[in-house]
Amino acid sequence: MAITVKVMKRPEHEVSYLRATLKGLALTFSHLLRPSVTMQYPEQTATDDWTLSPRWRGTHRMLTDEQGRSKCVACGLCPQICPANCIKLVPGEDEQGNRYPLIYEIDEFRCVFCGYCQEVCPEEAIHVGVHYENAEYERGRFVYDLERLCAQTHPVSTLWDPSDPKGQ
Amino acid sequence: MTERQDVVTLTIDGVEVSAPKGMTVLEAAKRAGVVIPHYCYHPGLPVAGVCRMCLVHVENTPKLQIACAIPVADGMVVNPYHDEAVEARRGVLEFLLINHPLDCPICDQAGECELQNYVFREGRARTRYSPTYAKRFNPVEDFGGDILYVPNRCILCTRCVQFMEHVADDPVLNVSDRGDRAFIGIHPGEQLEHAWSGNVVDLCPVGSLISKDFLHKARAWELDKAPGVCTGCSQGCNVVLETLHNTVVRLRPRTNLEVNRFFMCDHGRLDYRWLNRGDRIEAPLVRQDGDLAAVDWHHALERAADIVKGSGGPIVVLASARASNEALFLATRVAGERFVGAFRVERVDGEEPLPGVPNLALRSERAPNVRGATELGYTETFDAAVTALADAAAVIVVDEPLDTVSNAALAKVPSVIYMGTTLPEPARVAQVVLPITNVAEEDGTFVNRDGRVQRYLQAKTGPGMARPAWWVLGELLVELGRGEPLATAGEAFEMLAGAVRAFDGISYDGLGYLGAVLGTAAKAEATA
Repeated sequence: MAITVKVMKRPEHEVSYLRATLKGLALTFSHLLRPSVTMQYPEQTATDDWTLSPRWRGTHRMLTDEQGRSKCVACGLCPQICPANCIKLVPGEDEQGNRYPLIYEIDEFRCVFCGYCQEVCPEEAIHVGVHYENAEYERGRFVYDLERLCAQTHPVSTLWDPSDPKGQ
Repeated sequence: MTERQDVVTLTIDGVEVSAPKGMTVLEAAKRAGVVIPHYCYHPGLPVAGVCRMCLVHVENTPKLQIACAIPVADGMVVNPYHDEAVEARRGVLEFLLINHPLDCPICDQAGECELQNYVFREGRARTRYSPTYAKRFNPVEDFGGDILYVPNRCILCTRCVQFMEHVADDPVLNVSDRGDRAFIGIHPGEQLEHAWSGNVVDLCPVGSLISKDFLHKARAWELDKAPGVCTGCSQGCNVVLETLHNTVVRLRPRTNLEVNRFFMCDHGRLDYRWLNRGDRIEAPLVRQDGDLAAVDWHHALERAADIVKGSGGPIVVLASARASNEALFLATRVAGERFVGAFRVERVDGEEPLPGVPNLALRSERAPNVRGATELGYTETFDAAVTALADAAAVIVVDEPLDTVSNAALAKVPSVIYMGTTLPEPARVAQVVLPITNVAEEDGTFVNRDGRVQRYLQAKTGPGMARPAWWVLGELLVELGRGEPLATAGEAFEMLAGAVRAFDGISYDGLGYLGAVLGTAAKAEATA
């Protein structure tokens, strides 16, 4: 049995692509006249109306005292509270008999950036940072030791304050 | 009332308690499960009544009373959580905290500190002093021995003074100066050198008296704890082995009113480093072509069984008095009829008693299981046994360093089976070396000098393929066709209790945490 094909006759203005193409082009060219919203990262890292939140929790920074030594006293609360178990701490004693961390390492790969370490720290030593550019050439470099944590200069996070829940 | 006259009934925090006359309210409350906060009270010390922390409200009395010092009376109604009492204790805590440094992050006591606990429970959250108030400061003092004194943290409960004066009978500590300048002083020219002075660190409810040995080593909440028995001497003090990352970091006394009460000596307390030795045997070794080569357990046990089966003369077992009863017993089973056993124990001159506790001393035999080894048929004629080596068919060594045995004597023996934790030079002549776990890495029992059988539990894992000695000897018996495999130390002990008359009536489960005394079953039979 031969196949019969039914040919529908449609009005010319319905099947023409010209109209739709012109409509599309009009939309495209109209964008040229609108103000730009693209931020030119990495040349540009903040704009007038956009910047990283002060509550951003990025890679860590250890604060230091006036002599440049870390403020950490190796109390052991951050490894205890850490849900990702990414902080390694070995306590020691310095020449003055003060407790200090012999080894303090944070594995930034394991870290879930919850900020509990900053919240629990009684000495306000360890902080999560307002910082996100962490690329490295080797995996091993993501374990930050004490020296590296102290050498970080980025701003530190302002954690959420329960007494001022809506404040920045 | 049908009750005996010397028992009174009182109400503490709404709970009705019966207590013998003369007991204090604090102790009666403990029985009822009501905790009354306290500092200067300690069950092992006389009542001082200085801390004022156990203030409770007693109906029909004009003032609050200290629960540690008032005796119970019939019909007494004590309310430790009465508003007045809670307010008074909050005041006491506030006074204690005025000059207490905020150094919990670096304080060794944090996590097991009674000041922390009570302040969290019923203290004031914030100081009422000005933030610029300069706290009283005194430098850290070295009290000698293992002890440092941090005066800033001291709450002057005087437990340490009480202990040194009434229990250790060496009153070198005192309360010096008066009022808010008071501190714990040590007599000029004196040091805390008593053999039991380390107990003041445990007694101190805060981090004021701290151990130099444990200083900054670990935080209290990181430690894993297992009940054990001290291996320092034949007294068999009950201890807690505290481990951090599979390393023993501290020993502390475990309460056993029949043995050591609440205390342990410094010798035992600091004698734990050997438990963490790194130079351990980690695989069974057998002699192949003149050298010791690592093999699996099956081959090593087969070889050991061949030695036992193939030899004709006496089998000498040289044991250490640090070996468990289970291991010593199974070694006698392996040797069977041909058993000749001897153990060696280090003896020093003199004992170091704790005067305040009867029958408690650092004993001169410096091993935990002398009595057990004797009961199981081992003799202390170690040197005689070594001379008997000359006509021995085989020697089984159980955890004995062999440092007093001459190489020549051992070399004459046809075959040596060495079971040990480390491989000392003299043991290198062995045909078979079987790695065993040390006392912190296995379950087992010791018998102390008074015949008390006491269990110790595993605190950490053993290295490599090392296994408990009872397991190794049990498997060796299976290999010899003389027994069923043993799954636990309990099974090994039941086998021992069933076979050795002295252990009659003692079951592993019945030992509990406090142990049981040998021969009580026989005595009960005799009286029945």
